[in-house]
Amino acid sequence: MSIAAFFIRRVVQALFVLFIVTLFVAFLIRLTGDPASILAEEAASVTEADLERIRESLGLNKPFLVQYYEFIRGLLTLDLGQSFFRGAVGDLIAIALPSTLVLALSSMLVSIAISIPLGIHAAVHKGGIADQIIRVVSLLGLSFPNFWLGIMLVLLFAITIPLFPASGFSGASSIVMPAVTIGIILTATNVRLVRTTMLETLSSQYVMVARAKGLSERVVIYKHALRNAAIGIVTFLGLQFGNLIGGLVIVELVFNWPGMGTLAVEAIGQRDYPVLQAAISLLAVMIVFVNLVVDLVYGLIDPRIRVE
Amino acid sequence: MKFELHSLKTAHQIAFKAAVVSGLALATALPMTSLAQADVLKVAQGRDPQNLDPIDTFTLSWGSFGSNIFDGLVTRDEQIKLSPGLATSWEFLEEGKRIRFSLRKGVKFHNGEPFNADAVKFTFDRLLGEEGKAGPQRANYTSIGSVEVIDAHTVDFHMAKPDPVIITKLSGYGAMIVPPKYMAEVGPEAFDKKPVGTGPFKVASYTPGVDLKLERFDDYWNGTAKMEGVQVRFIAEPSTRMAEIMSGGIDISLNIPTTSIDALKQNDNVELHAVDGPRVNIFRLNPAKFITKDIRVRKAINMAIDKKMIVQALLSGYGTPINSAQGSKSFGFNPDLETYEYNPEKARQLLKEAGIKPGTEIALDYRSNRDLDREVGTVVASYLQAVGLNLKLRPHEASIYSSEIIYKGNTGEMFAFGWGGWTFDFDNTAYLLYHTGERFNPYIKDEKLDALLEAQRQTYDTEKRREGLQAVAKYAHEQAFEVPLFNIAALYAVGKHVEGFVAAPDDRLRFMNVSVKR
Amino acid sequence: MANEHSQIEGQVKRSSFRQFEFVAGLMLCGTIGMLALISPLLFPDGGQSVNLLARLMPPLQSSEYPLGADPLGRDILTRIIVGGRVSFTVGILSALGAVTLGTVIGLFAGYYRGFADALLMRFADIQLALPFILLAITIIAIFGPGLDRIIILMIVSQWVQYARLVRGSVLSLREREFVQAARSYGLANSKIIFRHILPNALGPLIILMTLNVANNILLESSLTFLGLGVDPRVASWGGMLAEGRNYAQSAWWVTVFPGLAIMMTVLGLNMLGDWLRDNLDPLGRTRL
Repeated sequence: MSIAAFFIRRVVQALFVLFIVTLFVAFLIRLTGDPASILAEEAASVTEADLERIRESLGLNKPFLVQYYEFIRGLLTLDLGQSFFRGAVGDLIAIALPSTLVLALSSMLVSIAISIPLGIHAAVHKGGIADQIIRVVSLLGLSFPNFWLGIMLVLLFAITIPLFPASGFSGASSIVMPAVTIGIILTATNVRLVRTTMLETLSSQYVMVARAKGLSERVVIYKHALRNAAIGIVTFLGLQFGNLIGGLVIVELVFNWPGMGTLAVEAIGQRDYPVLQAAISLLAVMIVFVNLVVDLVYGLIDPRIRVE
Repeated sequence: MKFELHSLKTAHQIAFKAAVVSGLALATALPMTSLAQADVLKVAQGRDPQNLDPIDTFTLSWGSFGSNIFDGLVTRDEQIKLSPGLATSWEFLEEGKRIRFSLRKGVKFHNGEPFNADAVKFTFDRLLGEEGKAGPQRANYTSIGSVEVIDAHTVDFHMAKPDPVIITKLSGYGAMIVPPKYMAEVGPEAFDKKPVGTGPFKVASYTPGVDLKLERFDDYWNGTAKMEGVQVRFIAEPSTRMAEIMSGGIDISLNIPTTSIDALKQNDNVELHAVDGPRVNIFRLNPAKFITKDIRVRKAINMAIDKKMIVQALLSGYGTPINSAQGSKSFGFNPDLETYEYNPEKARQLLKEAGIKPGTEIALDYRSNRDLDREVGTVVASYLQAVGLNLKLRPHEASIYSSEIIYKGNTGEMFAFGWGGWTFDFDNTAYLLYHTGERFNPYIKDEKLDALLEAQRQTYDTEKRREGLQAVAKYAHEQAFEVPLFNIAALYAVGKHVEGFVAAPDDRLRFMNVSVKR
Repeated sequence: MANEHSQIEGQVKRSSFRQFEFVAGLMLCGTIGMLALISPLLFPDGGQSVNLLARLMPPLQSSEYPLGADPLGRDILTRIIVGGRVSFTVGILSALGAVTLGTVIGLFAGYYRGFADALLMRFADIQLALPFILLAITIIAIFGPGLDRIIILMIVSQWVQYARLVRGSVLSLREREFVQAARSYGLANSKIIFRHILPNALGPLIILMTLNVANNILLESSLTFLGLGVDPRVASWGGMLAEGRNYAQSAWWVTVFPGLAIMMTVLGLNMLGDWLRDNLDPLGRTRL
């Protein structure tokens, strides 16, 4: 298969996936609950006629497929429509998306900053005490419920020792705790990834040649081995992206982070169809896009993959 | 093969140390950018009202700050006393069919637009007209037929039907006066995010899901606020909100979960303010289906539960046991109404009479996000176990709970209900609990009760109304339509450095006289 | 050579560490699992006895409440032991369900290729594109909470992992000599699949299952944290964490002990999975 054909095929598949995901979500969310009665929840004397009027003004009386068609049309024309409760969906996404990306990137950075040196340390000392400690500690990092870790961090570093703000997104210091919470969980897998990849590279012929040339071990590890291992590591980080988004949802709630997770969870609670559809579609687009890029890059590097 | 162990070690040790150092640097060296500005009051609440237009929302999360941006014709203070607001006086004409308001002169909206009779007419035309129809507020004001401008500073309200609570209703929510010119200039959508009123603070910026920033309005007609600005943050997760107030990240927090009372009382930086509020928690019983059809079972359930103990333990005393679905400040409260005393022996007796076998299973439906309902439900379950009823707890997602479980009459034998009518008038609660066909009342169809409820709405005579509402409460008690649990205090957590804060029973904050000493 | 020597020495150290990992992992989740299993005999009330007078009693103050009492005066130690039942039930049942469904689908997709295979791969893509937590919140918001729903959700979200793994094994095995030979003898497809192909994929499946049990225990607690849990009278670790979070500042024992219980169990399972990986999956198919 030529690269172009492979490319086109993967893009078509990605579009199909997005179509199913949006249709599924749009259908699912409409099964129960009533946005109109949520809007009038705290009003005392609301009659069925009042609710019916509200429903009509929200466009809920139209058939499902018409509502879905309007949503897709909006998506394609980059008009995400109006939330039932809170203005233009685009405005909400414009706040939530950057917040989530900032948090996602910071968590990745925290994780990389910890896992690369630790992973190398473990690989170089393979079988030594340091390796074993790093191994158990990284397993430990996988063993917390992330919301619990977040609450414990707040308790320690916002209340007992007030170092960081307990919640919200207000400047650099507020990123630290949520990024560390997610970062620790990512680190657990990343340390092992770096370790294994480095072990493989360190025993490869390529590195042996570098050593044979008499290069210093520092150069061998950081220039040759790490650079070689980097491709594997970056690919895996890409594949982790979906998990990362999942982990973000709960941590965002704990830290009151104004991101996509918080937005989506609120939209589910209120049955705010336009917001939920837009949020999940965007997250799905991001995940599919990252996977697609990973796939395409792989396809370029390794032609055998194109066959599958 | 040559293997330079030594240099290898140093290389990765350097990297290792670098990681530790950079980690520490990240942790400590970042500047504390969120240092509080001295003249901005920071407030936190659980929900974002999501729309600042007074007619588009009916949530307490709007009411909490709404009266700082807007004024009504009538003002209600922290002691829920009514006094003249944008109207200086009013009189009832033609036996209450017409109400004449004299308007305050020299009042300006935040955009400089003058307040006058046209603004009042515009406000109510909008509320009762096409725009109001799409919102939840209109239903509360349909007793108003039309508003007529008499002169620039006088208006007449023509009442479509009597409404004894109308003056109170004019002090909040949908009755907030809005500016006609500004509305025409910017349109309703922009108004949702940056509304203009006549209140002591104007909206500086609103970020959905994050915060609302207010700025002092220097031309306010009734004095000048002490703080230059207010930031209202929306923090949904209760434990996070509590972490913020305890760590000093905010100055005042609303929506205090009862589960955090102990922690707040132990904290040195925070004071817990409590005042009797309108909110009552009741477990309603299903008189149309199941074993609760039998009045003896409903009475037995009432007698099986020790409310005093529940209030003492779970509310740390910040509440009062009640005998009807209202607190002591509510109009229609009857202090002499007897209550079902805690008496498990008699409860068992009644259940036996009703032919209920020990171990019979019944269910309690409640909202999964209400921690207090869960705790009270669990305790009630153990009380009921003692009299031979096996209570199953069924949590539901919030929006399902009203639309699918209550409205459609799909509850079990018991279902949790909390309500706090901001008008402090039992009519607000009783009508929706007991009147046939109300959406919150899926079961009770009782002509006698309907008649009682309707009669008190026809008169402006305060004493007659009070008697009418007390009769409603008595009837509901006799029928044991619910287990009235407690009236819970309105709670505020306030930093000790905050001055001039007065706790109001209605969950509304008035920022005018609040200041902060840092 | 120095290098080789140190590597061999490393292998030796490593294997003794491996034994430690196995023993420690087995002891951790074995003990907690056994206690949970026999808990109905130990505590017939299921840790549901309310005693408002013991509300928030700190640890070590009364022999009745060695780890303290929760906000409703229930014994925390009892609830932790009993609560393991929910966690293990959810973790194990959902992993078993997912492995069964995934294996069957993976086998057929890999063996017969074609349409079934394409469908499976698209399913996998769709699953990957939907963040699980959001899907779970939506489903439970719509259909109401319940242990059965949580288990089904986990099965639905995890079978693809197994299916992909099995499919991969099948693809690499179906052209191998012994399978080709079996086929040339005229063996039925089902026999080839179950007798020759499946046993070869078993190791990685067991590893993935162990890790998923650990993961599912964490997920259950997260879902309960989000208010999607079950009858709150029934003790569960996630429920204890969620209920205790507002008390964290005044009564740490309410959240810290159940948190530690989850951590130790999940750590134990992860250690076992790690050990299994070294012993059952030399090819590293389940790595990461």
